[in-house]
Amino acid sequence: MTVHVAERLRLVRKRPITRWIATTRLALAMAFSARAKFVGTLLGVVFAAMLANFQLGTMFGLLAKNTLFVDNAGADLWIVPPGTTFAQPGQRLSTALLDQARVTRGVSRASALVMVGTSIKKPGGGTEAITLVGVDLDTMLGGPFNVVAGDPRDLRRADTIFMEDAQRERFGGLNLGSVREVGRYRVQVGGLTWGLLPFGPPFAFVDIELARSIADVRADELSFVLVDVAEGADVAEVQRELARRMPAVDILRREQFHDLTVRTLLSQQLGITFGVSTLFGLVIGFVIVLLSMYSSVIDNLREFGTLKAVGFTNFDLMRMLAVQSVVYAVLGSAIGLGLVAGAAAGIRSANLSLVIPHALVLMTPPIMIGLCLLASLLAFYRAARLEPGMVFR
Amino acid sequence: MTLAIDARGITKTFGTGAVAFTALRDVDFQVASGEIVMLVGPSGSGKTTLLSILGCVLTASAGSLALFGTEVGRMRERELPALRRALIGFVFQGHNLISSLTARDNVRLVLETRGVAHRQATDEAEALLDRVGLRGKLESRPAQLSGGERQRVAIARAVAGSPPLILADEPTAALDAKAGLAVTSLLAELSRESGATVVVVTHDPRIFDLGDRIARIEDGRIVNERSVA
Repeated sequence: MTVHVAERLRLVRKRPITRWIATTRLALAMAFSARAKFVGTLLGVVFAAMLANFQLGTMFGLLAKNTLFVDNAGADLWIVPPGTTFAQPGQRLSTALLDQARVTRGVSRASALVMVGTSIKKPGGGTEAITLVGVDLDTMLGGPFNVVAGDPRDLRRADTIFMEDAQRERFGGLNLGSVREVGRYRVQVGGLTWGLLPFGPPFAFVDIELARSIADVRADELSFVLVDVAEGADVAEVQRELARRMPAVDILRREQFHDLTVRTLLSQQLGITFGVSTLFGLVIGFVIVLLSMYSSVIDNLREFGTLKAVGFTNFDLMRMLAVQSVVYAVLGSAIGLGLVAGAAAGIRSANLSLVIPHALVLMTPPIMIGLCLLASLLAFYRAARLEPGMVFR
Repeated sequence: MTLAIDARGITKTFGTGAVAFTALRDVDFQVASGEIVMLVGPSGSGKTTLLSILGCVLTASAGSLALFGTEVGRMRERELPALRRALIGFVFQGHNLISSLTARDNVRLVLETRGVAHRQATDEAEALLDRVGLRGKLESRPAQLSGGERQRVAIARAVAGSPPLILADEPTAALDAKAGLAVTSLLAELSRESGATVVVVTHDPRIFDLGDRIARIEDGRIVNERSVA
């Protein structure tokens, strides 16, 4: 028998796709056959995907709660005290700024907003803090939103207040028509909002003059000026003009104010807390996958050795482990995201909401694939170091 | 005529210094193409080490090895897997089948890694398993087969794709006398049909006569070679 080694080498090197498919099928068979290990590894990825998305979803939910007011106030531009990062009670401004804004080219309407911290007395005694928002009822900029009972126009009725539906029990079981004492004033609940719960006290809305009276805010003072830009006018251009006229205050576009609040919260404890817990979830998942895949190789050393003896290369083994990693990552991401989506739909709380942006959903599988591939490196290292000669021992 | 195996001056030492152990000492071993050689000797004599070197899964400390005229020592480490796929079929002491694959898939996998298209590999795998008497066990996993059946699958896998060299390490070790003889006879029969060269490491005197030649190895040296009458 004449053997042409070069020709045989050429033959075994042809059809790389067939070989790739064969090794892929082998990788899947090996992964699925060890069911307990497969489920364990999958659970690791599910846990990582779920925890990371749950933590980030909660963080985005909390960020949304703190930017909700800015996002829904209806203003294109905000004139705020210098250094302001949140829509919350703080330094007061002069109403002269309101007059200046109204005569600035490109401004459709501008209105004052008073935001003060105060407290509400409960019928059984004791008080609860609220953030009182005084609204210009002519423009309704900064007025109540997410209204679940009543009509915002009802704020025109004397001494009427809109309060947070989710905090009714906390405020002494109030309902539409309930009367409460805020400051020295008795006000009647004319409407209810839902979910307006930033990190500070919940928002309560009244007519701006009533807010001034309750909180002793002078008639020439306000908290913010809310500006609505005329149709066709360039918001950035109007912002520049306002900044030129009012150098002592900050002029923020709605999205700038939103981003500023988000950045401030993330750079403070929120980012660190949720960043660490998200990372923790990813690390736990990484460790589970790493140990599971490594132990799979250890459990099957003889089979990996056999594969190397019959001509599998380290690259073939790497590809097998990569295939298994991708399967774990894709299935784990899908299950994890499904569970988080179910949890998000199930949570109907004003205090906690899960916000899972589309980008996060799209990023989860690639991140999990990267994590699983990284976790498979130890298993690959072990398989690559394996001497094919071990099968003869 | 080119020799299938031409090993000269093969020495293999494991470890270094005080713990160094020399398993093979200056071994010359030649096998003609199509020949079946039984490599026999006591435990620890160096049979399996020599087989590992012939199978290109272990590198000799000294000496040269040529398979079908190709000098293995001149090849790079990363070229050896392709050489094994191209030239060598293995039968291991413990069948070493992939436990998650069926009998057919175990054989087909080797064919596909040898460049045979999927459909053709499936047909060939089924034909080979039929040939070794496992027609009805195509879908069985190793755990569902007896020891003899597993070794038959291992033989089908070793001869799949007609490799010109088959190396078998104690193929009867895990089998009873009857099954051991049947399995080795099958290996010899299939190899003779394809013209493959076979080296079988064995302790089992009952199968010595299935070969063309018996080479005895002791203390890392080939001490005796004789043809089977």
